[in-house]
Amino acid sequence: MNVSAQDGGAPASARAPWSLPVPSAFWLIAPAVLFLALFFVFPLLKLVAISLPGGSLEYYEQIFTTPVFLRVIGETFRVSLIVTFVTIAVAYPYAYAMAHGGRTVLLLLTVALLIPFWVSLLLRSFSWIVLLQNSGLINDFLIAMGLIEKPVRLIRTPFGVMIGMVHILLPYAVLPLYTVMKKIDLRLMEASSICGASWLKGFMRIYFPLSLPGVAASAILAFTLALGFYITPALLGSPRDMMIAQMIAGQFNEQLNFGLGAALAVVLMVLTAVAFGLFGAARAALQSRGRAKGGV
Amino acid sequence: MDRLRRALFWFIVSLTALFLLLPTLIIVPMSFTTTTTLEFPPVGFTLDWYGKVIGAADWQSALINSLVVAIAAAALATVVGTAAALALHAHRFPGKAVVMGLLLSPMVTPVIVLAVGMYMVFSGWGLVATRLGLVLAHTVLAIPFVVVSVLASAGMVNPSLVPASLGLGASRWFTFRRVTLPLIMPGVLSGAVFAFITSWDEVVIALFLADAQTRTVPIMIWNQVRTNLDPATAAVAAILILLSALGVFLSYKFRDARS
Repeated sequence: MNVSAQDGGAPASARAPWSLPVPSAFWLIAPAVLFLALFFVFPLLKLVAISLPGGSLEYYEQIFTTPVFLRVIGETFRVSLIVTFVTIAVAYPYAYAMAHGGRTVLLLLTVALLIPFWVSLLLRSFSWIVLLQNSGLINDFLIAMGLIEKPVRLIRTPFGVMIGMVHILLPYAVLPLYTVMKKIDLRLMEASSICGASWLKGFMRIYFPLSLPGVAASAILAFTLALGFYITPALLGSPRDMMIAQMIAGQFNEQLNFGLGAALAVVLMVLTAVAFGLFGAARAALQSRGRAKGGV
Repeated sequence: MDRLRRALFWFIVSLTALFLLLPTLIIVPMSFTTTTTLEFPPVGFTLDWYGKVIGAADWQSALINSLVVAIAAAALATVVGTAAALALHAHRFPGKAVVMGLLLSPMVTPVIVLAVGMYMVFSGWGLVATRLGLVLAHTVLAIPFVVVSVLASAGMVNPSLVPASLGLGASRWFTFRRVTLPLIMPGVLSGAVFAFITSWDEVVIALFLADAQTRTVPIMIWNQVRTNLDPATAAVAAILILLSALGVFLSYKFRDARS
């Protein structure tokens, strides 16, 4: 017994330089796991249970056969896809400038990227309402430029929602792109130009493929986060262009149809998990392909 | 052609930076306007909106609720999250990847799903419309931030220091208190700041769990933005931005203090 305890003890402390005055990892991990099991996992399981009264799938049938629910789910996908695409398109040059623009540029762009993080999502949506309203800065600017004659309605439209969402998602998209781009050797582009390739050809054949793992990672994050947006569409959108999160809230706040609300929440949870899984697999595939190419 | 492309590139990048900064930059000036509607650029200069907010009883009670909830949630998340992060860093055990996934998953779960799930469960437990309910819910959201932050700082510490201390005859508890804890302190503190900000800014769960007595500052803002947009909201926003900036500054200070 004594011997076996010593046998077990010596390698453990060699392996664990952080040895603590507790018997095992169990007592350190248990509070967090127990806490999350009670207040995080249990509520999610409860939703699943409420959505299946007596094991019946009636609420799910209702969701997938009623046009209004299908439209909201479709709208959520459409908005999330467009927002993801726009976010990546805007984030790409920004991350490129951070990765290859030198130290001053990196510092300035990082500050500009992180300052919005100090301001909550709610306040940024509030700020966009003020900017996009009829007497707001954006309309004033467009009129001053002579592009429009009278104010255009920008809030309570899908356009307003997308502006607000892109603004919030941009930092999440830039950081993974930057991480990948800063490892790309720009001399590869020089080599391609010496070999006679145009800048565009070099970019499409060399730089862009090398940056794809970053694009995939950014897209996962942006798309998964976009699916669950609630505050921004509620404040900047119109009820007509509702997204799934608003519909869930409505079932609990206004319709008091908890079963249906729970089923919608489960649908959102599953969609998020699937999106995360799919993009994750794509990213892993791209990375292994990148490694194989690097070896050649 | 090359110069044109460069000019266009930097123009786009600058425009993006402006897009990122614009909403933050306009809030503070708007709070000084003398008009009763939100205007940018602001007209005149007054501190009346700040006076109005600071003097109002409902804002005061919301502020106290927000502070109590955020401090309690940050404290709870920091203790629980730090312990878990240390175990993840130092030990190998079966199911480690699963535990890690569980600890981080509140970060990727849509908040609205959490909000309605907690609402259903907490109403059965008598936790709806209580500060305790909000504290527990916000702790769930904050734990991942503490775990990530502590794991990062634990990973940067020289691993031979603890065996050295033990070899020189210090007890394990003494070593933990005098070697391990001071070295990971920057990560613990910046995790605590992130946990505080997470709770401080949280609105979706609070909308479901709080009532008129327990409502927090973000709920007050939400109600204002939905009903009437007036410069008082901008004044509150400016105060919150100042506090968050202070928090971010402190968290960087903690990180720099040791490196």
